Amino acid sequence: MKPPAKMSKPTSLFVIFFSLFVMSEAVFEDQVGKFDWRQQYVGKTLFAHFDSHSQSSKKLFLATDKNIFASFNSRTGELFWRHVDKAGPEGTIDILLLHGQDALMVVGGGRLLRSWDTNMGGLNWEAVLDTGSFQAACFVAMQDTVKHVAVLKKAAISLHYLTNGHQKWVENLPDSDTVQYQAVYSGGEEEVYVLGVVPNSHLTIIAYSLEDGEIIKQRSVEAPWLSSVESSCVVVGHGVLMCVDTATLALYALPIQAEEAPQFNQILLQSLDLEVSPGFQPVLVSSQPHPARSPISEFFLQLGPDHHVLLQLNADGYTIAPLRDFQPAFLVSFSTTGEKTVAAVMTPKNETACAINLFSADSGRRLLDTTVIFPLDLNGGKPFKLYVHAFLKKDDSVGYRVLVQTQDHALTFIQQPGRVVWTREEALADVVTMEMVDLPLTGTQAELEGEFGKKADGLFPMVLKRLSSQVILLQAWLAHLWKLFYEARKPHGQVKNEVTIETLSRDEFNLQKMMVMVTASGKLFGIDSKSGSILWKHYLENVQPNAVFKLIVQRTTAHFPHPPQCTLLIKDKDTGLASLHVFNPIFGRKSHIAPPALPRPILQSLLLPVIDQDYAKVLLLVDDQYKVTAFPSTKNVLQQLQEMASSIFFYLIRSDQGNLSGFRLRKDLSTERIWEVVLPTEVQKIVAVNGKRPNEHVHSQGRVMGDRSVLYKYLNPNLLAVVTESTDAHPERAFVGVFLVDGVTGRIIHEAVQRKARGPVHFVHSENWVVYEYWNTKSRRNEFSVLELFEGTELYNSTVFSSLDRPHLPQVLQQTYIFPSPITTMEATLTEKGITSRHLLVGLPSGAILSLPKMFLDPRRPEVVTEHSREENLIPYAPEMPIRTEWFINYNQTVARVKGIYTAPSGLESTCLVVAYGLDIYQTRVYPSKQFDVLKDDYDYVLISSVLFALFFATMISKRLAQVKLLNRAWR
Amino acid sequence: MATPGGQGGGALSTRGGARRMKWALELTLGNARGRGDRQSNQGDVMYPIGYSDKPVPDTSIQESDKNLVEKRCWDVALGPLKQIPMNLFIMYMSGNTISIFPIMMVCMMAWRPIQALMSMSATFKLLENSNQQWLQGLVYSVGNLLGSALAIYKCQSMGLLPTHSSDWLAFIEPPVRMEIMGGGMVL
Repeated sequence: MKPPAKMSKPTSLFVIFFSLFVMSEAVFEDQVGKFDWRQQYVGKTLFAHFDSHSQSSKKLFLATDKNIFASFNSRTGELFWRHVDKAGPEGTIDILLLHGQDALMVVGGGRLLRSWDTNMGGLNWEAVLDTGSFQAACFVAMQDTVKHVAVLKKAAISLHYLTNGHQKWVENLPDSDTVQYQAVYSGGEEEVYVLGVVPNSHLTIIAYSLEDGEIIKQRSVEAPWLSSVESSCVVVGHGVLMCVDTATLALYALPIQAEEAPQFNQILLQSLDLEVSPGFQPVLVSSQPHPARSPISEFFLQLGPDHHVLLQLNADGYTIAPLRDFQPAFLVSFSTTGEKTVAAVMTPKNETACAINLFSADSGRRLLDTTVIFPLDLNGGKPFKLYVHAFLKKDDSVGYRVLVQTQDHALTFIQQPGRVVWTREEALADVVTMEMVDLPLTGTQAELEGEFGKKADGLFPMVLKRLSSQVILLQAWLAHLWKLFYEARKPHGQVKNEVTIETLSRDEFNLQKMMVMVTASGKLFGIDSKSGSILWKHYLENVQPNAVFKLIVQRTTAHFPHPPQCTLLIKDKDTGLASLHVFNPIFGRKSHIAPPALPRPILQSLLLPVIDQDYAKVLLLVDDQYKVTAFPSTKNVLQQLQEMASSIFFYLIRSDQGNLSGFRLRKDLSTERIWEVVLPTEVQKIVAVNGKRPNEHVHSQGRVMGDRSVLYKYLNPNLLAVVTESTDAHPERAFVGVFLVDGVTGRIIHEAVQRKARGPVHFVHSENWVVYEYWNTKSRRNEFSVLELFEGTELYNSTVFSSLDRPHLPQVLQQTYIFPSPITTMEATLTEKGITSRHLLVGLPSGAILSLPKMFLDPRRPEVVTEHSREENLIPYAPEMPIRTEWFINYNQTVARVKGIYTAPSGLESTCLVVAYGLDIYQTRVYPSKQFDVLKDDYDYVLISSVLFALFFATMISKRLAQVKLLNRAWR
Repeated sequence: MATPGGQGGGALSTRGGARRMKWALELTLGNARGRGDRQSNQGDVMYPIGYSDKPVPDTSIQESDKNLVEKRCWDVALGPLKQIPMNLFIMYMSGNTISIFPIMMVCMMAWRPIQALMSMSATFKLLENSNQQWLQGLVYSVGNLLGSALAIYKCQSMGLLPTHSSDWLAFIEPPVRMEIMGGGMVL
């Protein structure tokens, strides 16, 4: 680190000393991957293509709702490469088209047209498109070679060269304010057809010349039944537009390229002996194998959720022949290899499996030996989409691989004959909340514990029980020794401990835990924190996409034989109604305990430290009438609640009303409002609120000053940090406010207003400090500010803390620093006893996670170094906050779009477990004060023990010699 | 060592001189060879009854020695006091930093007077013969107490004594929470 030039020499020396002191944190090269792992995800698949460029290609291309374009190895499911675009609508992938080695992509609602090289994943070119929302795009071929791509916008169509992205021509669409242009079609001729619709009136077909974009012909066809081309029409055969209408229950065929005024030809479904399931919108599926040729004349018509029909358009272009009826059939898909087009159909087989079969598209005949079994996971979602890759085998028969996307966003790749090659749980790309739960003791440990849990039944049985458990322990120990001996003979790399749910047990220092992750799709995962393997998953159906989740650990593993218990509160944003999912976090099984019925919308929940007779903590649910429901609600609990009611408080914050209010519980489980603070919404908006973490321990109650007196910390467990942002976004008038409010009394302990500042504000509230980060609009930089609260040199009451009896306001110290990077999330480390110094874990947009010592964010950092400040080890104040690369705990394992960081204490005081999640999941351990309680990895046991033994023997020998000498002297 | 009787000496040299001659008779007392062989043949030496090879001390007490005893006892009693200037100098030299040598010095400084005070009875035995036994004892103990006070002062100036509130900080228990609070933004 280079100290600022204005620093005096001793100061800079001091800084250098400190930077050396905190430096040795980085991972050694041989420690890479030893304690940490990363998993990369892409999100829910929107478009998927197989690389059909060469026969042996292993590539699979995906575009997802997380604005990611990725390539997978289809044999292993590993990522080849991944391009992460901007989050939000600016980076949305509208369409992905694949032709040969080029992948064409329209990005950001028709903002950009990109071409990627599929081999290496490099960008070929990028073209900025004219404004206008994107409608459709297709390849345009000329004399059997694909040279152009047509992009249809709301009011214009443009043609681009495939080689360099240059625009060949752009034409405004006529009457674009009344006609909704929705589709573009090219069948390899000299024309590009644009299809537009005036809903419930007519269809417009415009043919553009490929050469110069001139309108060759423009037709208008009466179609009063048609509302959308996109959802109900496809092109089949030689340019025949096929539409389906629910109201008239008929198919309509229309030749697009017809010279004279064309007419829709109605074919009633009844005439084909077909019937639509009630309330179902029929869907058409067609296939255009090559952009230079017209689509195949076979197409699927979906008539119900599990009813598909394969139809064929006859050569005359007007009549339809049904080829085969598939019922039941969940999913269908076309695939083409060479000249053969096949249809894959997924049919249910039994409760736990589906069968996929191939059918010849032109005849509807089933191809022999093409059945593949897709195992249905009972804890997963239903199949949602089918992507089929057909290829010709050596004997000219058709083989295929299939990628199945399920509702829980999982991708399963299956190969013939019915082997699941890999599965990717893409729901993990959107983790909402998580908890880490201690693993249970091993069976033997549990056996021993259980002995004390059981009731005593006489002396003799107890002795027997003890003996039997001792025998079991001995057995386990011998087995362990044997395993050690057995594995010691194998080379180191081959020893692989497969973690399964049966072998799970707590390790010596409780470093291995179960990560319970809740994803936005409603799928829950149990992941082993040591290896990252998914041990259980559970898909909750009927979870709304915008649902809010809150995960609560009600009972940990410490209360054997009671199983641990987690409760997930799921609240539907639209209706406000909530439901509880109670499960065992170790095995993922749904608990048999029935959660209470919640007929009213739930506002908040509150976990009490009160436990019922089964050691489960009591969860209070507050509904919209401020009535409280307890879970579990046994007699015992209700009695305890009545006794404690006067000391149970809760607060609710309504951001839309700018309202903070506090409530007290009454004995009858109703509540009374005891305070209210209103922050006018016209001026500022509450963005976030944070109390302290309930499992946080603070070991030291004060700080030692240079003169060896104590500055006591203001450790108010009821303190809330409320962050507001101004509604006025003008850089001169914008501000960020931080209010420290006592949650019991509503007293505002402190307010800090940062003028000329703007959000997003990231903050951490812990111990006696709040650290927040904002954007300074005046200096245009990111700034960190720290607030620390002290009670003074005297404690008001050292034995109990009651918010109701605190007459003095704390002393507040604040300091601000410049941070050279924006940040995306922030969290503080947490250890078992709180002795270890704290670090802040800062997620940066670059994907790095910075471990920033709290020592640097200390408002007592002096501007002038004095004897006392040196005594206290305070770093002299420097406005710039350094970022050192060795502080990146994830070295080069960047975590894309880090959204949250979770910290959990381990059994070792020095060690804190960290999980960063976002698009990727990264797990590691951090040692904020280094590993003071563990011998280092490279500790030289051999040397130390050999020295010890040598010294021991030397002592023995010299003792003997000394004895001999003494004896001799005595004889003298 | 004197060789007793010629017989013994003769027998001794018979074996001792076997290297050169077959035998030799030594008639003189305290010859050189006998002295040279002492180490190996110690056990063979015979002493007459009542013989002692240590000089017998003169136990008769003389009047002039009384003053000497008194002086000697005062020396013992004033010993610790005389150490103090030396200790002060060492204290000054070692400084107030906490490192191995100053700590060792302080330990020595503190331990010596304590040791001396603990073995007070032995010192009193030494002073038994003095007339001013009690005064001397008092001076001795005061000197030692001063020495230990000096050591404590040194500890204090080095900051080793738990005299500040910060020294007891680690023993303060976190206060018990009276209220239970929770909640948050409306979900």
